[in-house]
Amino acid sequence: MSRLREHPLHSILGLVIWSLWFVALYAGQGLGCALAPPAPADGAATWLNAVLGVFTGLTVLLLLGLALFSWRSAAAGSPQRFVLRLAAGVHLVGAAATVFIGLTLLGLPPCA
Amino acid sequence: MKRRSSHPDPARLHAQFERVWGSPSGWRALTVVNHTAIGRRFLITGAVFFLIGGLLAMLIRAQLAVPGYVLLEPDLYNQVFTMHGTVMMFLFAVPMMEGLAVYLIPKMLGARDLAFPRLSALGYWCYLFGGIILTASLVLEIAPKAGWFMYTPLSSAAHTPGMNSDFWLLGVTFVEISAVSAGVELVVSILRVRARGMALHQMPIYAWYILVMAGMIVVGFPPLILGSILLELERAAGLPFFDPGRGGDPLLWQHLFWLFGHPEVYIIFLPGAGIVSTLLPVFCGRPLVGYRWVVLSVLATGFISFGLWVHHMFTVGIPQLALAFFSAASMLVAIPTGVQVFAWLTTLWLGTPRYQVPMLWLVGFLIVFVAGGLTGVMLALVPFDWQVHDTHFVVAHMHYVLVGGMFFPLMAGLYYWLPHFSGRLPSERLGRWGFWLVFIGFNLTFLVMHWTGLLGMPRRVYTYDTGLGWDWPNLVSSIGSFVMAAGVATCLLDLLLHVRFGRPAGVNPWQADTLEWATDYPPASYNFLSLPDVNNRHPLWREPDLPQGIARGEHALVEIDHGRRDTWGVEALSGRVRDITQLPGNTWIPLIAALLLAGLCLSLLLKQYGLALGLSGVILLVLLHWSWRNGPLLSPGANLTVQANQPPLHWQTHDGPGLWGMAVTLVADGALYLSLLFGWFYLGIVTPVAGPTTVKVGAGWLLGSALLLTVGTLYLGGLLRRLRQGSEARLGIHLLLLTLLGLLQVTLLLGALQAAELQPRARALDAVVLVMLLYSLIHCALATILTALQAWRARLGYVSARQSYEPRVVAQLWLYNLGVLWISYLAIVLFPLGWGNGS
Repeated sequence: MSRLREHPLHSILGLVIWSLWFVALYAGQGLGCALAPPAPADGAATWLNAVLGVFTGLTVLLLLGLALFSWRSAAAGSPQRFVLRLAAGVHLVGAAATVFIGLTLLGLPPCA
Repeated sequence: MKRRSSHPDPARLHAQFERVWGSPSGWRALTVVNHTAIGRRFLITGAVFFLIGGLLAMLIRAQLAVPGYVLLEPDLYNQVFTMHGTVMMFLFAVPMMEGLAVYLIPKMLGARDLAFPRLSALGYWCYLFGGIILTASLVLEIAPKAGWFMYTPLSSAAHTPGMNSDFWLLGVTFVEISAVSAGVELVVSILRVRARGMALHQMPIYAWYILVMAGMIVVGFPPLILGSILLELERAAGLPFFDPGRGGDPLLWQHLFWLFGHPEVYIIFLPGAGIVSTLLPVFCGRPLVGYRWVVLSVLATGFISFGLWVHHMFTVGIPQLALAFFSAASMLVAIPTGVQVFAWLTTLWLGTPRYQVPMLWLVGFLIVFVAGGLTGVMLALVPFDWQVHDTHFVVAHMHYVLVGGMFFPLMAGLYYWLPHFSGRLPSERLGRWGFWLVFIGFNLTFLVMHWTGLLGMPRRVYTYDTGLGWDWPNLVSSIGSFVMAAGVATCLLDLLLHVRFGRPAGVNPWQADTLEWATDYPPASYNFLSLPDVNNRHPLWREPDLPQGIARGEHALVEIDHGRRDTWGVEALSGRVRDITQLPGNTWIPLIAALLLAGLCLSLLLKQYGLALGLSGVILLVLLHWSWRNGPLLSPGANLTVQANQPPLHWQTHDGPGLWGMAVTLVADGALYLSLLFGWFYLGIVTPVAGPTTVKVGAGWLLGSALLLTVGTLYLGGLLRRLRQGSEARLGIHLLLLTLLGLLQVTLLLGALQAAELQPRARALDAVVLVMLLYSLIHCALATILTALQAWRARLGYVSARQSYEPRVVAQLWLYNLGVLWISYLAIVLFPLGWGNGS
């Protein structure tokens, strides 16, 4: 665990997760619209917005949890405090970016 | 700092170092692999291409100065504006920034060279030859003419039947070998080849910027490389990836291009911002405010900038929700950039700025780039983008961002680091004239161009009628562009004159804090006679007499009688020394490989496919010879023993830079494969396909091949575990068995290709499957050949339990191939296509 925590890749993990979420969000929207497009008249209240919204919420929770984990690891006096704090910041940035982009799910129909 | 108790004679040491590290002159100068020489070559070549691109810009502005004026015929005008963008983006901006990084990074990090000097040399030659091939098309008047982003169907064989588009597709792909190789080189060097003790958070801020830029190149360029390969296959062999009549989709090209194209803007901007973050503290006399925040924001910029690619496609008919994702991401990316702007402003506020010439360019950068960033946020808004799409407003915005974000910082950097090239300082008066002419000329040209665009003038028209309100703004822009050209000429004059008339720079002329000022100016090819320990971000502010101590040989690794080129190899995070990284000497191999690649590029261009195949075989042999000259064969004749108190040579460990180099290369390779997979799903799900959506492949053969590859990879894994435990019994035999297994697996893959009933010219999906299978075939065949070489090397004693580094490098390729083949199997055989296209 310690090796993973203090691996250089830990410092960018939060934004890697964000990137995967972003690609999955766009792909999910495209796939949903190809598979079973909700009616445009339904606005944002569709099964697709709901599925993507739940996925977004879970991603935010994961990123926040990892941010907390990184911050606590840094506070525990690790010699790699800089990288761990950086990782905490990156996870937070990832979470904020996920929330900001995910908010669009509340207002727009998915396939119109 | 740890000092040696007794010092050898520095003059004698310098002479000995020069014998091992020196760069020869005459014809043998072509063999040089040293980063200082290669970096300089990148910069000089980039400057030449900048002048060519600038001349093309002058032609465009001359043409548009007044309505109805025809200096260039429409066809030639199309070539000129296409080549202006292509030259500036691919032959100037990226190589210039990479070249500067190649030159500076080892010096800033207290190392003697980059991790893979031969790769740097190959990158340079590919850049030079690719650039010559591309610009030759202009002289021949058959240059690319479909715009620098080569949209299909305009660039396809039906609409551009000559060689024009082929020059772009093959030439740019050739040049991109250079970009990606420099990207791999820089990532690994920054993480693994630094001064002893320099932890990640003690690196100069410029290294962080370059680390992120290089990482972005590794991930960002492969989608375009794939797109170019597919489009060239469509043009040359009729595989219809982008032809809607046969199941292809022109929008796939746009996705692939902009997956590269938007990160490209930040690939250019980030090193520019790195120069700003390096120079501003020097001219303010205080450390950069918010180092950690800046690092965080650079990382955030690097990632978020990949989520913007569709903002170039707002008008192609994508659903509103998807547009909103990309619009939000486009706005979001302004925040980390804003954090950096505030860090710079606060540094200015808290420091005592000296407004010398480099500082003028920095202030110019702040003004121009912030203005460009603001119009960028405007363009992120979908309705506004719809209004100004493809108008001169976008051209103005783009130049504010690119010239502001790259050219201004680059000029600041060139003026700042000029003593490195000549030992002299430029003229303050000419430098100021040059800056003000460029600054005024630039704003005259492009500020006015925003209005031209808002008045509705589309980009890329070769002329226009009078009476549309575009006359005077175009005239002002054209006058401004010539003022700017006069400014560039003034700077050029200054750069030329200073070599003879400039004041001698002395030691650390700007009172800088970073280690590149601890070398001689111009620097010796080994940078530092002795390698100092570094445990803070501002070594020269902390210890101003460090340059003298280094030159007297008072620090580490001053041994040279072994005849090797050595530098420290460190742990990525802590900077603790873990090995001595032995670097290769001068060699013809990179030049020969690049010449052969140029031959391959030309033979494809001339459609001499037999010759191309033959050259590919020769290139493979040359590259295998390159790989052979590693480990104990790296420096023939050198003494390979290390002193008792020193760490082992890198190839005597389990974890040398090559292992990281292969990993980063496979990340680039993976980005290319994932782009191909994206194409498969895109064409299979989103694009309406007429006829059946299933593709008939030899599923059994493919499954057998994947299973055999799994067995082989596990076998190799077990072999490596035993090597690590010190057991090397019958290593050569095991590797030979693995080679045979590989051969069988490749044969099964060939069987899958044979058994597949593909119609690649008739159906885009079949064409994608063909490329996927060929991709795996080539990779698996390469892994088998490399394993055979390892078996041979084990037999000769170059690979053993003590030297098990090389098979570990090859094992990564086996593992990668395994992942790719299983994903391909799942995607082709098991994934049900055609969900959404009504079939």
